[in-house]
Amino acid sequence: MSSSADNTEIQQEVQAFLDGRRQRIVSRTGGWFPGKGVFSHGYSMLDELVGEKSYFQILILNATGRLVERPLADWVEAVYGCLSWPDPRIWCNQIGALAGSARASVVAGTALGVLATDARSYGVLPLIEGVGFIQQALKKHQSGLTAEDILQEATSARGGKPYIVGYIRPIAKGDERLVVMEKIAKKLQIPVGPHLTLAYEIEKLLLEKYQEGMNINGYVSAVLSDQGFSAQEIYQMFACLVASGVTACYLDTFKQPPESFLPLRCEDIDYQGTASRPLPDFILARQ
Amino acid sequence: MPEFEHDQVRSRNEAFAELIPSRIWRETPSASNPYLATAAQCHGYDLMDLMQHCRFVEVFYLLFRGELPSEPQAQLLEQLMIALINPGPRHPATRAAMNAGIGKTEAAHILPIGLGVLGGAARQVEEAMRFMRRALKTPIDEQLQKLSAAVSADSPEDWLTASAFESTPGFGRHYGDCDLLTQKLATQLSQLPAAGEVLAWGESFARALQPLSAGWLPAGLAAAVFCDLGFQPRVGASLFQLLSAPGLAAQGVEMSNKPITAMPFVKDEDYVIER
Repeated sequence: MSSSADNTEIQQEVQAFLDGRRQRIVSRTGGWFPGKGVFSHGYSMLDELVGEKSYFQILILNATGRLVERPLADWVEAVYGCLSWPDPRIWCNQIGALAGSARASVVAGTALGVLATDARSYGVLPLIEGVGFIQQALKKHQSGLTAEDILQEATSARGGKPYIVGYIRPIAKGDERLVVMEKIAKKLQIPVGPHLTLAYEIEKLLLEKYQEGMNINGYVSAVLSDQGFSAQEIYQMFACLVASGVTACYLDTFKQPPESFLPLRCEDIDYQGTASRPLPDFILARQ
Repeated sequence: MPEFEHDQVRSRNEAFAELIPSRIWRETPSASNPYLATAAQCHGYDLMDLMQHCRFVEVFYLLFRGELPSEPQAQLLEQLMIALINPGPRHPATRAAMNAGIGKTEAAHILPIGLGVLGGAARQVEEAMRFMRRALKTPIDEQLQKLSAAVSADSPEDWLTASAFESTPGFGRHYGDCDLLTQKLATQLSQLPAAGEVLAWGESFARALQPLSAGWLPAGLAAAVFCDLGFQPRVGASLFQLLSAPGLAAQGVEMSNKPITAMPFVKDEDYVIER
């Protein structure tokens, strides 16, 4: 098989492009040049960032390319605090606890717990949908739809159920983190913009109609949308959101006897499969 | 900030299962210690019997499908396992494993690191399985019409960005061109007795993509075989990772006793910050 003749020219350009990057890094972010400095998005890290800006300002810079003011970085840090609970019943934390019990390393346990939050039902991945919802909702609102219209449209698309990412939460109704984060936002003078205002309107309607409220995802999505971040940037900003809670759960079990975290007897597995059976004749016949 | 009254926090009191369910594995407890197993069964077959009478590939199939494969099915899966056993030393997943090896990363982390990076391609397998199961019912010409954006790319960056065709997961370009090795593997696999309608459709579609300098990607080939063997799309990513794991591990561990200078480190003068 050969390439189509029509594409020969572009393919030669592609190969030249690739050849230009063999043993050569072209970065649009930064890098370390021994003796000269370390650079991130145009800043000299050791002269302008380390010791001058907070770790979370640097984290947001590396995740989005934007150097935000300290109050917003402190607010993001508080969100990380809200997701650092040392409760091993939470699925990502339990991976840390199992890793400690099985004597995997703390780095493995923490990293694997973080990996688990790339999940559809909880964690960091749903931020993309949560941000997408509130940003789309505001566009619709600005083009004339009311919060009620938006809620109606969203629930209709979900079979009449209010399963909107950013609202409703597994295990519990309500979210105790909202009040805390609102207090912190007030103290840090993080403004309430149009996304958050609409998010509250939608929550009010949800409470009235379904007795369901906003969750931390919905609140974070709205606040950071008001700060001009995209869904992907917000997802990137919270890549390691649960790490600290996972580490805590790892250590809890690592310091206890191995195999003693939620041990299972054989009978604790509810076997629902095929009954015992002999190997089929076509397998036995070939011996 | 306006004061807002949120909902009172309270448990949903959902009914969770008391026990972990499984249709795959049953263990027989020891009479003296119920935490110890004295025997195990996979989908009803005794593990010792499987060890004595079955090939690895058959038990692998059994784990995911619930039944032992016929000989032609085992042959098709085994040949795919060999075809995908190593993504090769230039693949980003292998290079990640090699970086772990050369850096003397904890040996137990080498394979997970490689598999994590392979996730980029592995996640395509499920999409490709769903795509091909749907596409069987539509003419190939209709699929081709959706690819106009990829055809119109006029810069090398656009051409490379369009390599994984969004509307046809599992098919596209490799380094801007048709992936010749994967095409050869597909042709061989499609001639086996257990090859079915999905592999045959994929072969036809790959031929139709040749004028676009595109064709099978490894994820698509794996997806087609998995479909023909009756695997569900949701296991596609894991199966793909399992099949490529031996090569990732071997290549990564190969580096683990070499000095850190045994692999290239880009010179400062070849490091360009482009703004």
